[in-house]
Amino acid sequence: MEELDGEPTVTLIPGVNSKKHQMCFDWGPGEMLVCETSFNKKEKSEVVPSCPFIYIIRKDVDVYSQVLRKLFNESHGIFVGLQRIEEELTGKSRKSQLVRVSKNYRSVIRACMEEMHQVAIAAKDPASGRQFSSQVSILSAMELIWNLCEILFIEVAPAGPLLLHLLDWVRLHVCEVDSLSADVLGSENPSKHESFWNLPGNTQTLTELELKWQHWHEECERYLQDCTFASNPHLESLCKIMLGDEAALLEQKELLSNWYHFLVTRLLYSNPTVKPIDLQYYAQSSLDLFLGGESSPEPLDNILMAAFEFDIHQVIKECSIALSNWWFVAHLTDLLDHCKLLQSHNLYFGSNMRECLLLEYASGLFAHPSLWQLGVDYFDYCPELGRVSLELHIERIPLNTEQKALKVLRICEQRQMTEQVRSICKILAMKAVRNNRLGSALSWSIRAKDAAFATLVSDRFLRDYCERGCFSDLDLIDNLGPAMMLSDRLTFLGKYREFHRVYGEKRFADAASLLLSLMTSQIAPRSFWMTLLTDALPLLEQKQVIFSAEQTYELMQCLEDLTSGRPVHGGPDTQQCQDDDIETTKVEMLRLALARNLARAIVREGSLEGF
Amino acid sequence: MVSVINTVDTSHEDMIHDAQMDYYGTRLATCSSDRSVKIFDVRNGGQILIADLRGHEGPVWQVAWAHPMYGNILASCSYDRKVIIWREENGTWEKSHEHAGHDSSVNSVCWAPHDYGLILACGSSDGAISLLTYTGEGQWEVKKINNAHTIGCNAVSWAPAVVPGSLIDQPSGQKPNYIKKFASGGCDNLIKLWKEEEDGQWKEEQKLEAHSDWVRDVAWAPSIGLPTSTIASCSQDGRVFIWTCDDASGNTWSPKLLHKFNDVVWHVSWSITANILAVSGGDNKVTLWKESVDGQWVCISDVNKGQGSVSASVTEGQQNEQ
Repeated sequence: MEELDGEPTVTLIPGVNSKKHQMCFDWGPGEMLVCETSFNKKEKSEVVPSCPFIYIIRKDVDVYSQVLRKLFNESHGIFVGLQRIEEELTGKSRKSQLVRVSKNYRSVIRACMEEMHQVAIAAKDPASGRQFSSQVSILSAMELIWNLCEILFIEVAPAGPLLLHLLDWVRLHVCEVDSLSADVLGSENPSKHESFWNLPGNTQTLTELELKWQHWHEECERYLQDCTFASNPHLESLCKIMLGDEAALLEQKELLSNWYHFLVTRLLYSNPTVKPIDLQYYAQSSLDLFLGGESSPEPLDNILMAAFEFDIHQVIKECSIALSNWWFVAHLTDLLDHCKLLQSHNLYFGSNMRECLLLEYASGLFAHPSLWQLGVDYFDYCPELGRVSLELHIERIPLNTEQKALKVLRICEQRQMTEQVRSICKILAMKAVRNNRLGSALSWSIRAKDAAFATLVSDRFLRDYCERGCFSDLDLIDNLGPAMMLSDRLTFLGKYREFHRVYGEKRFADAASLLLSLMTSQIAPRSFWMTLLTDALPLLEQKQVIFSAEQTYELMQCLEDLTSGRPVHGGPDTQQCQDDDIETTKVEMLRLALARNLARAIVREGSLEGF
Repeated sequence: MVSVINTVDTSHEDMIHDAQMDYYGTRLATCSSDRSVKIFDVRNGGQILIADLRGHEGPVWQVAWAHPMYGNILASCSYDRKVIIWREENGTWEKSHEHAGHDSSVNSVCWAPHDYGLILACGSSDGAISLLTYTGEGQWEVKKINNAHTIGCNAVSWAPAVVPGSLIDQPSGQKPNYIKKFASGGCDNLIKLWKEEEDGQWKEEQKLEAHSDWVRDVAWAPSIGLPTSTIASCSQDGRVFIWTCDDASGNTWSPKLLHKFNDVVWHVSWSITANILAVSGGDNKVTLWKESVDGQWVCISDVNKGQGSVSASVTEGQQNEQ
């Protein structure tokens, strides 16, 4: 087993006395809770003022930064674009397209840097100004690294153009060159060389260039040896520099801001046609010479060195450790993966490094109230564990508003995440019921295809009706459509409402048939039969005969079923007795009405029509 | 980079024993030796006390949030041998149910996966485990497993819901055939796995033996869609084991030693996506562990308490890839 390169880092939680007490902890959906405690329950808790604080800790809090928001948003667009055009990336144009993507990422970083710089300048207090400034330098370092990776890994600059790219790289990033002489040093010779290289056409082969350079180099050496510049130490020094003399270069150390500036300058004068494979030797010695044993390499130096050594995995590893969020490594690794540069290392989490890093990055986004939407797309492009990770995270998004809930649901439905859809709809239905918004609860249960909950809500509707004599949310019930079939109770609710509508339209015969069918089809709960029979009363009392004899017999049967099945109320309770009395009266009334109707129906049916 | 983003002053008057975030990370429940259970709204880095619940007559050991589809429900268990279920109705929190079926301190409560319904498992120092199932209309059905662990049961943890056989969407109205399982850890140094039989009774399905002293905590890892099941256990003997079971029938569990600490390990907990295990290690630290490429568990971060700096520039080590 390989060991970790260093000891795991320690985070100190302030205010908790480590000498005396232990730390209790638990996970939230995106954070951790810690607090002081004493696990040993047998101990009598000393009445010592213990720490009443709970600390909520998170990693990746960069996600909350306002300025970085733009970085996350815009890079998301580039990322998704890259995934989508993957199939179209073929042949010769592939490389240039990938380089273009890389440049896009870098311009986003630079834009963010610029904005952060403005914020730093405008900062009211020096402390936050410093913080922003340090963020700027971190972004600058990220761009520096990315740029180098682009040159070495994506552009795959061969010998010749390699140095030109490196020159541009250094010039772009070490442009804090403020002294004139440094300008001279930096620009004078390249201009001489630019005409030498004959850039636009660049029809010369590498060999031709090398020969020309050798010739020029030898000429310089001759001048030095002939002591042509002996009278002028500056010119002599300049000549030495142009010959790539390291000592001479190092004398100008203040003008070279760092070792990679030194490296490129050195290469320019001693080996401009350096091959990529040889870079690492020059790099290592440049670093050593420049630091001169006085200081040790910083994390950034190690990252750049790893790049010069073409050790991509090392670059990514070091960046993961040095940077405070996963943004950089996730996007860079993904791009390098598209360049087919990563060997597939099987990891437990994510089938390869790319997926592993993307999962980490996307998980971090879910901590944010609106950036989580970006995270969805990242999970989509993780074939192994993206889906299950999305399932776990998306259920935890607080559904504060209807709008947010609908957004989340749409995302789940688009991906056929039926379990999550159901779960979310159930949660919303429950919330609605608790707030007495029955219509909303009903539509959520229908969307959840939750028959049990739909039954529950329908019962509530019916109960409300019994108490108040009218329905709420008529629109919804009237337009249930095929959703009515979800549960028997819901079907009954829909049909019962239909009965009322038909009755209201004075289509009494239809209403009567519907009412009867509700009872005979067993769709109506028995507890509701009395109400239905009572609803039948006005139909029975009409001038014209509505219920046929046959129908009346059926109604009578229902009534008998109902009354015979009722248990005898034997309570001494007065209320109970009163209820019984009301019930008895109702039953009597019904029996009378049914009998009368039956008589009239028989007579009508018995007589010949038209007479 | 790990940072403290919020500090909630609970104003508990005595030792805090547990703190739990709700499903969405918007509310925090805490419980203490001062016998109270408190609920805070912690959205946007704030802290608003929503409820101060009194009802227990002894130190409260644990709290547990039910799944939001059942409403806002919180369970708490205490030294007073009781389990109380609190519910929010019309904006106020009230005691909804009290379960007093144990003869000794109730040490642990854990809600079952929401797919099973509203079911709470409780482990007690009287050695028994009780299971409370909500049957509607404010009624709870109780099933008790007596002598689950001799001397006492310290922890209970449910297995994630997995539909056996096909994972195809069930037609509405039809309840899928879940096999309900949970794990418990006790003073008999054992971890036991329990399964619900067809007749509704709970049966001991497995005994996991590896610890040489009281098992203090068990935690069944959330499912990430892989066929393996994973349980973490920690004990008075200072050891933390990761148990894995590969076959679908769930019969062979193999332990792997995560680490041997030089002190009692009290608590283990899995992150939501199951890729990080937090362990209360020795030296009053909380350590975080992740599985590396070759199946070994590596410590990725130490969360320690102390005075002084809030956080150095701490970062988690990258997983080994070679």
